[in-house]
Amino acid sequence: MAELLLDPNIRGWVFLPIVVITFLVGIVRHYVSILLSTQKKVELTQVQDSQIMIRSRLLRENGQYIPKSAFLARRHFFNNEETGYFKTQRRAPVTQNPMSDPNMISEMLKGNLTNVIPMVLIGGWINWMFSGFVTSNYCFSIFLLLFIFGRSIKINYNFYFSAKVPFPLTLRFKPMLQRGIELVTLDAAWVSSASWYFLNVFGLRSIYTLVLGENNAADTSRHLQDQVSGAAMSMPPDPKAAFKSEWEALEICEHNWALNGVDEDLLGSKYKNVDDIDMYSQSSSS
Amino acid sequence: MAAKAIHKIVTFLGFLSLLHAAFSAVQHRSYLRITEQEFTTLPIDIIIQGVASLFAVMYGVMHIAGDFKEIRAVVDLENKSWETFRNLPSFQIFNHRGKALSPEYMVEEADRRR
Amino acid sequence: MAGKIRTKQDKDDVIAYSEIAVRNNSAVVEYCRISMAALSGGTAGVLGLTGLYGFGFYVLATISLWMMILIKAGGEWNKYFVSRRSLLTSGFFSGLFTYVLFWTFLYGMVHVY
Repeated sequence: MAELLLDPNIRGWVFLPIVVITFLVGIVRHYVSILLSTQKKVELTQVQDSQIMIRSRLLRENGQYIPKSAFLARRHFFNNEETGYFKTQRRAPVTQNPMSDPNMISEMLKGNLTNVIPMVLIGGWINWMFSGFVTSNYCFSIFLLLFIFGRSIKINYNFYFSAKVPFPLTLRFKPMLQRGIELVTLDAAWVSSASWYFLNVFGLRSIYTLVLGENNAADTSRHLQDQVSGAAMSMPPDPKAAFKSEWEALEICEHNWALNGVDEDLLGSKYKNVDDIDMYSQSSSS
Repeated sequence: MAAKAIHKIVTFLGFLSLLHAAFSAVQHRSYLRITEQEFTTLPIDIIIQGVASLFAVMYGVMHIAGDFKEIRAVVDLENKSWETFRNLPSFQIFNHRGKALSPEYMVEEADRRR
Repeated sequence: MAGKIRTKQDKDDVIAYSEIAVRNNSAVVEYCRISMAALSGGTAGVLGLTGLYGFGFYVLATISLWMMILIKAGGEWNKYFVSRRSLLTSGFFSGLFTYVLFWTFLYGMVHVY
């Protein structure tokens, strides 16, 4: 194992600043994305539709606890051929293409602004600032850009060694951590400043949870998850189809009153079989 | 957050002790480098100090993090009285004639006409 | 009723768990776990552990945190947690990233230069 002796100045001016920069950039990104994020506007009809769907489902599930006339009245409201909600409401079919929605585009732009651009800028800047050779100025950011567009390219660039991971790594890690340095005898545990930066990016994720609280914007993976689940909950994807299926389900739903004879059960067997009237008809007649 | 002052003090002292252990380790390393000895392990006192301060900080942090709550749903309901459940916000009425008793009450036009 | 009530079939009777309390407890445990990963990583770096010793130290720290949590719960972990084993294993690998970061950081600061 080749033991390198590094200048202690590298510790103070490369190793430590990378940690601080990565951490502070995460914090700044959190607050910037709070500033940029707009409250997601939900359209009134969407809320109405989802609430109607919930009400209809409740009626199907718990309809046996209300009297038959009440059940029929509710079903009439939903399912009547002329005036029912499911029959009269005409919703334009939702366009499946998210690109046609201007809100979506600006959302994606903001997401890119707060996630990808800092990554490229800071990564490129760290590479430029802390790399040994000035010739590799913009290679790294270009590499990241190309990486984003799905192509990879081999660029020969060199880095300082700034850190040593305290555990042995196999030779397979060498091209990843020591790109462009063909020193066979060098231990793979020595990594460049860019690799140290990426280790920071991954490792500091949970620290942000600690510092900024849960569901913070610095954690990119969680952010995306929130968006997806939030959109799915607020509205059915296609109201027309959802209405049709709900209409069918409600139409075949049968009303079996669950509370038949509940007064006898409540009063006990003493009054059982006195007369065979159910509670509802008694109260309505009086 | 039921963090008492003592837990914060324990955490703070633990951090200080951990930092001190780190500086001792740095000094030991530089001493070895100057005297050109081979590094094998740290002195035992630094190791003990590091591990002990780790546990101290962990103890403090765990109490700062907050208390556990009972997860059984029944426990939450046991402390509530019947009146708490009777209090339904949807049925609260504020626009009643009691407002006439207020010293700031102004007789409105609509009321006078009635 | 406060919050959503989640039910789970347990042995032969149904126990209702309060969602808020479960989330509160897991947040507390998560907080402890992240701090533990960072702190034990720092300690491992200061002590200059390398290779498998370092990973062994992480496992030791995880287990000791688990035991400390059980002691804090006062022996009645049933009251506060649904499962004792998931308390030990959940978030093991996400904590490992933080651990490795702090391990490398402190190791670099103390021992490399």
